[in-house]
Amino acid sequence: MKIILNSHLCYACKTCQLACSFHHTKTFWHERSSVIVFRNPQDGTIKWRMNATCDKCVDEEEPLCVKYCMYGALQVVKEVKKHD
Amino acid sequence: MIERGDIKGCLAGKILRIDLSNKKIWTEETKGYAEKTLGGRGINSLIMINEIEPHVKWYNPENLLCFGVGVLVGTLAPGACRVDVSTINVFSGGKGSANVGGFWGPELKYAGYDNLIIIGKSRKPVYLYINDDKVEIREADFLWGKDIYATENILRKEIRDEHIKIACIGPAGENRVRGSAIMMDTAKAAGGSGVGCVMGDKKLKAIVVRGHGKIEVAQPERFMKIIDQCYQQCKNEPNAKMMRKAPFNLYSDPDWEGWNSNIVIKNGQDDQWEKEKRIRLMNPKTGIPAMQKGIRACYSCPIGCMPFMEIDKGKHKGIQGEGFWINTIMGHACRFDISDPESVVESWLLTNKLGLDGDYVAAGLSWVFELYEKGIVTKKDTDGVELNWGNSEALIKMIKKLAYREGIGDLLADGMVEAARKIGHNSEYYLIQVKGQPSIEPFRVPKGWALAVSTSPVAGRHLRGATMGSKRYGPKPRPGDFGVTDYQNQAKGVVWQGKTKELEDNLGICNYVGTWSGANFLT
Repeated sequence: MKIILNSHLCYACKTCQLACSFHHTKTFWHERSSVIVFRNPQDGTIKWRMNATCDKCVDEEEPLCVKYCMYGALQVVKEVKKHD
Repeated sequence: MIERGDIKGCLAGKILRIDLSNKKIWTEETKGYAEKTLGGRGINSLIMINEIEPHVKWYNPENLLCFGVGVLVGTLAPGACRVDVSTINVFSGGKGSANVGGFWGPELKYAGYDNLIIIGKSRKPVYLYINDDKVEIREADFLWGKDIYATENILRKEIRDEHIKIACIGPAGENRVRGSAIMMDTAKAAGGSGVGCVMGDKKLKAIVVRGHGKIEVAQPERFMKIIDQCYQQCKNEPNAKMMRKAPFNLYSDPDWEGWNSNIVIKNGQDDQWEKEKRIRLMNPKTGIPAMQKGIRACYSCPIGCMPFMEIDKGKHKGIQGEGFWINTIMGHACRFDISDPESVVESWLLTNKLGLDGDYVAAGLSWVFELYEKGIVTKKDTDGVELNWGNSEALIKMIKKLAYREGIGDLLADGMVEAARKIGHNSEYYLIQVKGQPSIEPFRVPKGWALAVSTSPVAGRHLRGATMGSKRYGPKPRPGDFGVTDYQNQAKGVVWQGKTKELEDNLGICNYVGTWSGANFLT
């Protein structure tokens, strides 16, 4: 599975970044998150990045970043493996 | 690892103190204050009461400029991002405060500080750089005179960190225009009470924050169970979606009840705007809604009320930025009888860029437009600008004059009551102000709104108790059973709304997410 962002639905609230940090640390520590969100209010751009530390919240019902995204911008999808 | 105070559980643990006169920096523990009050506005108020002598004026070095981040800010609590900015109100001389969202507040807490208290005045322009426990007062000559956008861009280049969060003033604050705002994260304004004017008076151009620390809660699992409930309530709350696209999905309907209850026309001459003007301004295909290119939310916010605007045609084509509110319609359109959509967006974004309080601009300048109509102010006074109702370009010119103190702007920058005294000819009669602060609020139709605005401790603003009937907004139940125009029971609603706002400002929760129109997790 993988987590994908629909950038058109993203409001850049960084809740996913914060929720992820709670999964990793049981504290609210935005620097210890697998997700990084950057927003530029001057030109409207939003950058969303997930790094290799993401474990898809294996011990949770669903990844916390997806769970707390109220805008439906994050989604879990199954990775399709290509067969030769 | 950042050293914390004794208190665990939501607070960062320290209060950062800055003396700009003597260039001193020190910290103290939050604990002593948090034992007496929750945090945010509460701690700011406590410090002001303890430390400011009654004779101190807003322009004295002894005046404090206090930034208080709410207790829940930095956690996953929905809408917990707010900062209270308190200082002596430049209009009333009493206690002033402004409340603002964005991302700066959480960053200050991650840097290790619940409050930032600034005393003294710098001789030269300076900015503060707070990077966890590394705090510096840096020279800011190279930033002085720059607007909000330019200031932010220069600071990002200078500091070389795209994740810094910036609170700054624009030319208006530098020039000590009374209705100046402190702008956070480009477009979020701490606007009321003239807090930007005080920051400019202290020659403090910006406060840059970068925090790498964490916020802990006492019982994480229990905390998250409650947070889950809060998010669920936000999800289920019908008002949440309504507020998400507030100005557009409500006011794009020319028959929306708000047009008849909380709109003020031509500096208060009327409360009803012609239908064709409503349609011209808010037409979903050709009006303001068509310029909304997206919606943005503040930190940890499940509501998301902030449109990202881009002007796609006309003279102001290409201008873009965050922010467009019901206040924009009330203030920059109806109050001047302007129904040209592009110029309304431009005038609002311009106030952001110059660091002005949009409400001060709307209430103050519409008063000058009325004086022009009455012949008390003439073309001679305005350097040839014709302040006729509906003249959008005149409004834009006047905003610039105000921010830069050019011509008549110099007179208006010292406050409209003071300006009225100088203009004479009974001009104060036409000025709508409370305790010296111009007010854009509707006073005639919504009775609870008028009561709250008239009694607001921050002088003529609606966020300390305004009601719009007991049924329209969540959470429910709320005290009283009354309609927008009823006289009965309004006081109960106003008191409740004011008290819950006190709680929200201590916790750092946005009113939109909280008691006003969002979820009911405070009840």
